[in-house]
This record gives sequence, C-alpha cells and structure tokens, in this order.
Amino acid sequence: MSAADNTPNNPTHGAPAGAAPEPSRRGFLRMGVNAVAGAAALAAALSPLRDLDPDDAPSLEEFFQKHYKEMSAEEKQAALARIAEQVRRRFKLPADRAVNVQDPPPMDGVEFVYALNVSRCIGCRKCVHACAKENNTSRSPEIQYIRVLQMQKGSIDVETSEHHYDPIKIPDHQAYYLPVQCHQCAKPPCVKVCPTEATWQEPDGITVIDYDWCIGCRYCEAACPYWARRFNFGKPQIPADELNLDMAYLSNRPRSKGVMEKCTFCLHRTRRGRMPACVEVCPTGSRKFGNVLDPDSEVAYILRHKRVFVFKEEVGTLPRFFYYFDERGSRYHEPIEVFEPGEST
Amino acid sequence: MDKPGHRLTLLPVDRGTVRAVIVSLVLFALAGMLWADLWRFTSPVEPRTRVPAWATDIATVRQPSLRPEIEIVGFTYRCSTCHRLFPPRPTTGRTLTQHRDIVLKHGINDRCLNCHHPENREAFVDDKGSEISYDQPQLLCAKCHGPVYRDWTHGVHGRTNGYWDAAFGPVERKLCTACHDPHVPPFPPMRPAPGPNTLRMGDQRRFHARHEEQENPLLIYQRPTSRDELDEKEHE
Repeated sequence: MSAADNTPNNPTHGAPAGAAPEPSRRGFLRMGVNAVAGAAALAAALSPLRDLDPDDAPSLEEFFQKHYKEMSAEEKQAALARIAEQVRRRFKLPADRAVNVQDPPPMDGVEFVYALNVSRCIGCRKCVHACAKENNTSRSPEIQYIRVLQMQKGSIDVETSEHHYDPIKIPDHQAYYLPVQCHQCAKPPCVKVCPTEATWQEPDGITVIDYDWCIGCRYCEAACPYWARRFNFGKPQIPADELNLDMAYLSNRPRSKGVMEKCTFCLHRTRRGRMPACVEVCPTGSRKFGNVLDPDSEVAYILRHKRVFVFKEEVGTLPRFFYYFDERGSRYHEPIEVFEPGEST
Repeated sequence: MDKPGHRLTLLPVDRGTVRAVIVSLVLFALAGMLWADLWRFTSPVEPRTRVPAWATDIATVRQPSLRPEIEIVGFTYRCSTCHRLFPPRPTTGRTLTQHRDIVLKHGINDRCLNCHHPENREAFVDDKGSEISYDQPQLLCAKCHGPVYRDWTHGVHGRTNGYWDAAFGPVERKLCTACHDPHVPPFPPMRPAPGPNTLRMGDQRRFHARHEEQENPLLIYQRPTSRDELDEKEHE
C-alpha cells in the first residue's frame, strides 16, 4: 500500500504527480517485480552460505575458551574432551575408534635437537608422507611440513634447488638432497611477529601454535626464513581411515580452515619418549633426533664430533636443526667401482 | 498518458515500466548466474591421489634372517647341512660350483673367505681367525669400515627406531645388514615417493608444456635448474 502511495512521487516514474489510480497500480506492480528480483539476487549472492557446515561454527564454550597458557587444568581437560567430540563428529568416526586427545607437558631437563646427515639422504621423500600421516595434515589442499630440496652439487643456493624432482630412481648422482622443515629456532622470528601470541616456544625448544587462538594473519609464515609454516587456505581434507587418532592439543589435532600450522617435532610422540615419525621412516638413517642436554645422546655426539652446518646461519635465528656430513662425503656421489672377476687392474 | 512526441508511444507501456522490466531482468539474470555459480574457482592443482602404502612403511629395506641358513626351492637348510659333508678346501679364489646365484660386488673385497670362516661355515671370521656369530654382522663389517662402525656404535650411522629415551621403551638400533646387502653393499636406489602437489615455482615451461598458450602468474623465475642441465645432457 505504501509502495502504491509513493510511486507517483517517484522521480523515475513517467507519469506526473497526482495522476489517476491506474499508473499507481502499474507502479506498484513494477515495484513488486523489482523487489522480487532484488530479493532473488540477494539470495543468490548469499548462496555460498549453503556450503557452510554448521559444525564449523564455534560452539559457545569454544568461543569463550581461554588462551592455552591461561587455561586451568580443568578447563584444559574440558577443551580436550570437546576437541575429541568435534573430531568424532567431523570425521564421522565409528564408536570403536577411540579418539585420544592429550596434552603432554614438556619434560624436565630435555631440549630437543634434530640432526640430518646430508651425506646419506637419498631424497626418497618417505619422511614427507610419514609426517603428513602422523600429523593429520590436509591432503587436499595439500599441506606438508617437510620439503626435500634437490640441490646442485657444491652449492647451498636454494634458488637453484628443485623440489618437484621425479626421476624413476633416486638418488641422482649429480645432486644432493636437503630436506627442510621447521628448525625450532632458539630465537624464532615467527613467535616475535605473532600479534595474538598464538605461537610460542616451549621449554623443550619446540615452537607450538594454539590453533584456537590463531587468527590466520600469516605474519609468521612471512617471517620464517625456512618456509616452515603452512596456512590452511581451505578446510583440511583427510580421509577418515588415514586419521591418526593419537592426538595432542599443540600438535596434530585436526586444524580448521584459516589457521597456521607447523612441524612440532611430533611432540605427542617425542614427549613420551618416542622418535618423530620422520626419523622412524627414514630408510637410510639420515635423520637423528634426541635430547641435546644428555651428553650420551646421538645428537650430542654429532654436535661434538661431526662436521655440522646450520642452514641460513646468517639470519641469526639459532636453529635446533643441524645438517652434518660424513668424513668421506656421500657414497652415492661416487658409485663403488666394481672389480669384475678376471678383470685386470 | 504518454507525453506527446515520446518515442515509446508504439509500445502500450510507459518508459518507467520498460526501465523496471530491464532492471528486474538484469537482477534475475545476475541471480541466476550467481546461483549457477558460473565463476566457481577451479584450482590449477590436480587433486591428490592416495599416497602408496610403501611411502609410509617404516620397515627396513632388508630383513635378513641373521641365522646361518640358506633357502633352496622353498626349503631352509643350515649351512652345516652341506658343509659338514664337503669340508672346505683351504684355497681361495677358485671357481664357484655352488652358491652361483650370489653376486659379489663388494669393491676389492672379492674373496668369500675374507668374511666367511674357512672351517666353520656357520660363522664369520675376524682378523685373527676367530669366529664371529651370524647375528653380529657389525663386528664383521668393523674389520674394514672403522669410522662407520665408530659412528654406528654412537647411533650416528644407521637407523634408530622406537624410542629416543630408553626410559620409555626400546631404542632399536638397526644392524648393518638391515640396509646393506653384504655381497652388494651400496644402499639400493629406490623410487621416490610422490612429490608435492602444489603450484610450482621456478621455470613453469617444463611442467606446463601442454598449456603453453596460458600465461602463468608464477612464471617469475627462469634460471635453469640442475634438472634442466641433466635433461639436456640426456638429450645429447
């Protein structure tokens, strides 16, 4: 009714003001058609909301959850139970698959250090996939914590490296391999830039992220000199049967869209004495891991006796990840000469 | 009702109605296009296929039995089964009549009795002629590979599985023969696991030869990589 009253005054309307009721009715119809079309266009513009999963919306307790460091023991337990329930719902897990979300604390007198033998690494990428499986990283869009660089022999210039190499057999005798992952720096630039303190360094040297506190600004990704941080551009897709149900709050619990994630030295394993997944899968034993404060550990021996180098040492982040060599360099660089029987030398 | 001389006098509707119809048609068309999602984002990255199971298998490349046994057509015999009947002659370097399936490519170490005990074939031999048990291959390898043995005893060469802290569980040191075939010791070349399924930085021409007409926004870096040189070498 009001639309019909207003139409005569509408400047876009062709008829003069105060005209007969006929143009007024027509005007009303016009307005009606336009309103319907406008509403349809608005509905269509909002149609992406169809794809919104109600499970993605934060629950009240999730919304009011405190920062990890400010949570009391009871609040932490409640958060762990909530996460377990969310995982069960999100991946539609059957009742017989128990979701175990824990929060193992850092161990006293332990500082983790990683060492990688560049003389022995053959670039097989098994660590990459073992890591993805262990840490429930998104398979699509793909997130991998480890990037294995195929380097030019005699150079540590990453600009000339290649990580999409795909020959029939590795290793390539013309190259060497430099796997890069989070270096768990003692002076982490990623922690320094975080505007919400969602990431910090734990007493055992592991830099962790509270995925519920991260706002996804990606400053840390830009700050990291090792390209070690990954952003969830999409909702992480993981096949439910490949999900690792042994989870921890600060490491491999499934992430949501829009948060950062990174290697945590598999803290759900290593804080219970186990080796990280990448160490255990490495077929050549190039990867070494342990407590550097224990003088009898493998990594302490490497730091004392091996030729060790720090990748991008000049950026001054003091990594806890070291590369080392063997005395004679890699054997695969010089294939062993075979003496055939009867061959004169 | 129309003003005199108006061009739309041919139509039985006024200009306002025409305008309203056009506006609503445009809005309906927009609504239709949005609903049909004509501008849906399609990722240039191919969808990920499942990673093969071997890529995450933590088993060692070899699983030696560590027993003085041999398998012949499905039956397992101890070495002494034959070697007790046929005592070995003390000469070395003669032509093999048995075990001809064994390929020995161990560099200059091309004599069986460098490692195998000359009298007791169920043992290895050390530098002084004493016996080394079959389940202790590292003691045999240490005869020549001193620095590697030293590293192995400190856990620096070779694989360690299980636990880094013995207080929590077993620290599994793998033996030499878990990775190296004593007769052909170099670590066997293997297939690489699938590479990253991400947009490729660097020279895109090699990867997108079939989409050459498309301009790639990531084509920022054109210096040849090591693989380019290798490809060229292979080409020559």
